[in-house]
Amino acid sequence: MTTGSRSLSEPVPGTVSRRGFLRAGGGVAALAALPPLLTACSSSGGSDKVRIVGVADQQKPIEELLALYRKSHPDPAFSTSFAPTDQVQTVVRTQLAGGNAPDVHVLFPGSGSAMSMVELAKAGLLTDLGGQKWTQRIPKNFDPAYRHDGKTYLYSAGSSVIGAIYNKKAFATAGVQPPRTWSELLDVCAKLKAKGIVPIALGAQTPWVTQLISYALVPNAVYAKTPGFDADMAAGRAKFAGSGWADALGKYQELQRKGFFNDNPNGTTYEQQTSLVASGKAAMAVQVSAVLANFRQATPTPDDLGMFPFPGGDNPAELWIPAGIVVGLGVAAHAKNPAEAKAFIEFLGQQENINRWATAVSAIPFTRDATTEIDPALAGFLPIIDANRAVPFMDQSWPNAEVQPAHFAAVQELLAGKTDVAGALGKMDQAYGKKS
Amino acid sequence: MNSLPDTATSGPEKPGPAVGGAPAKSGAPAPAGRTRRHRDATLPPWAFVVPALLVYAVVVLYPSLAGVVYAFTDWSGVGDFAFVGLDNFRTLLNDDRALESVSNTLLLTLAVVVVQNGIGLLLALGVNANIRSRSLLRVIFFAPAVVSPVMVAFLWKYVYNPDNGAGLNGILGALGLGGLRQDWLGNPSLALWSVAAMVVWQYAGYSMVIFLAGLQSVPAELHEAARIDGAGTWQRFRYVTWPLLAPALTINLMLSTIGGLKLFDQVYAATNGGPGTSSETLSTVLYKEAFVFGKFGYSTAVALVLALFVAAVSLVQLRYLRAREVTA
Repeated sequence: MTTGSRSLSEPVPGTVSRRGFLRAGGGVAALAALPPLLTACSSSGGSDKVRIVGVADQQKPIEELLALYRKSHPDPAFSTSFAPTDQVQTVVRTQLAGGNAPDVHVLFPGSGSAMSMVELAKAGLLTDLGGQKWTQRIPKNFDPAYRHDGKTYLYSAGSSVIGAIYNKKAFATAGVQPPRTWSELLDVCAKLKAKGIVPIALGAQTPWVTQLISYALVPNAVYAKTPGFDADMAAGRAKFAGSGWADALGKYQELQRKGFFNDNPNGTTYEQQTSLVASGKAAMAVQVSAVLANFRQATPTPDDLGMFPFPGGDNPAELWIPAGIVVGLGVAAHAKNPAEAKAFIEFLGQQENINRWATAVSAIPFTRDATTEIDPALAGFLPIIDANRAVPFMDQSWPNAEVQPAHFAAVQELLAGKTDVAGALGKMDQAYGKKS
Repeated sequence: MNSLPDTATSGPEKPGPAVGGAPAKSGAPAPAGRTRRHRDATLPPWAFVVPALLVYAVVVLYPSLAGVVYAFTDWSGVGDFAFVGLDNFRTLLNDDRALESVSNTLLLTLAVVVVQNGIGLLLALGVNANIRSRSLLRVIFFAPAVVSPVMVAFLWKYVYNPDNGAGLNGILGALGLGGLRQDWLGNPSLALWSVAAMVVWQYAGYSMVIFLAGLQSVPAELHEAARIDGAGTWQRFRYVTWPLLAPALTINLMLSTIGGLKLFDQVYAATNGGPGTSSETLSTVLYKEAFVFGKFGYSTAVALVLALFVAAVSLVQLRYLRAREVTA
């Protein structure tokens, strides 16, 4: 009758039945799955090598300049590692907390992020670089990015600008030129759209991309009229709501309402945005000049790409633009090789090396001489910077790291029609009011 | 038919225990030496576990418990900190983003638990049947579970490309179902469910394997007996297979519930909690609070609440599911 050869109910002593194993598994699963929730990551290091940890965008200039430096300084050895911003932020902060930070590490200018110069300086985790010669050439108006309490903590080669990276062929197909005013921009977009070309590629699924159009519009909408806006905000005399920010976000929405973005910007990534412009399916993308190299890599004809200041106002002679100090380096206060680390930074501070770094990331050096060559695509930005109509990226003066993500989320919700301008700015004000 | 001995339906009488694994308590008393021999015989497996448990205690348990103290501080992750009592927990109760993430987490967990285990069970029943390609199919269905969740998320971003000619939208268009095309990750009303589908795709095979182990331990005699009693396919599944699958179901439900409640990688890589905050889960919130906003104290408080919540849910679930387990 029965064909089974095993006993149904009594296991052989000393063996674990499959059923018994499954039963034991339930309890073990619960125990094993919980604690990692509470575990912070950490890693240990420790060697005679001078350690440098940077973000992926810094790999090209650091590797190039380190190779040059090692020619004249074969000792000591250096080790470098690079990773995307969020990963580096996680690892370096953990190492700083654990007292085993790299000697030289990525540092964001001003305040407004967990790895920003002000945040780390306040915690006493950075070395003052004030004695180095290059620091004397930092323009006074860049002080908030480089200095805290009179001490210089950041090395950065200069600033990058936000503007429109455009495909010259797409513009030629529609018979249009780079616009110089907001009205011209709307005309140009309408003509591009009529030709079946997406006027503006927007990869708003990638959080940091969401902010760029606001940043491009806010200098005209806010700082041209109220240069002291940051101080007013800090003193509680101003709020995002009711300020020029409302005009800027209104214009952002206008571009979407008129169908000037690609379909589904919230589902489109930065990489897809890059490819849209590089392939000519889209005519332009509002971007930071530091990614020009990525756009150029994405097309076999990089000369077809140019960049122009994104016009937020209607007077071309009074156009304001955003120009932010690019992400740089700092020396850890508890560096194992402080002298070697500082010597490398001093080398980076030589004019020719500032030029090299700036060229590698399409930035404009904070100090220039006759040998400085600036990316030709940025030529249109220089007169505006020299006329002091450039303002730092807004987040660099925000008091805590929550405002910027609140801005990202607000823009995505605006694009999805889930909030309006007042609601978006209300959330940003709420984040601004939080303690750092 | 009437001449069949009644053992065909009731099975042979054995002095067996009520649950597998325990020594016999009924029937004839065991000889005095047997219990000790039994214990000695089962000892080695636990001895093997001890080194692993020690490592686990030192590397995971101790740091986790030692970290709890930060939930009561304002630590920024670097530098000094001050004790703030229960402030972090008070903040949590008024934190709209964290509260929204709680409901997102619960919805995501519910969707994953129900659909993943439903599909896992169907797959297990399928590959347990006597079909020729079952070994190959088992491998294919299980394969996604061994891929890194972050890789899966990146791959699925291509599947979810909103472009009409790409990925899932492209397939829908080719099938003449263009009207169903969606902005899968960019639409705040859809993003959470798109992530859930991705997780189900990855782990349905995992549930399948556990159900399969359960199915294979269902004695053929019982099916045979039920068949003779006139039970159809559905009745045999409902009254023989299903009750005996209970231990496998317990593990699957617990693993998927715990996995769902602490889901991080796929959400972070696919949507980063967006658009806006529409797919934010408790895990992405606690990660951002710690590593983006530099609020380690508050983040630890969120983690502590999450850990206690997961523990409570798991214990209740375990107790309930264990109570309904039966043995052959």
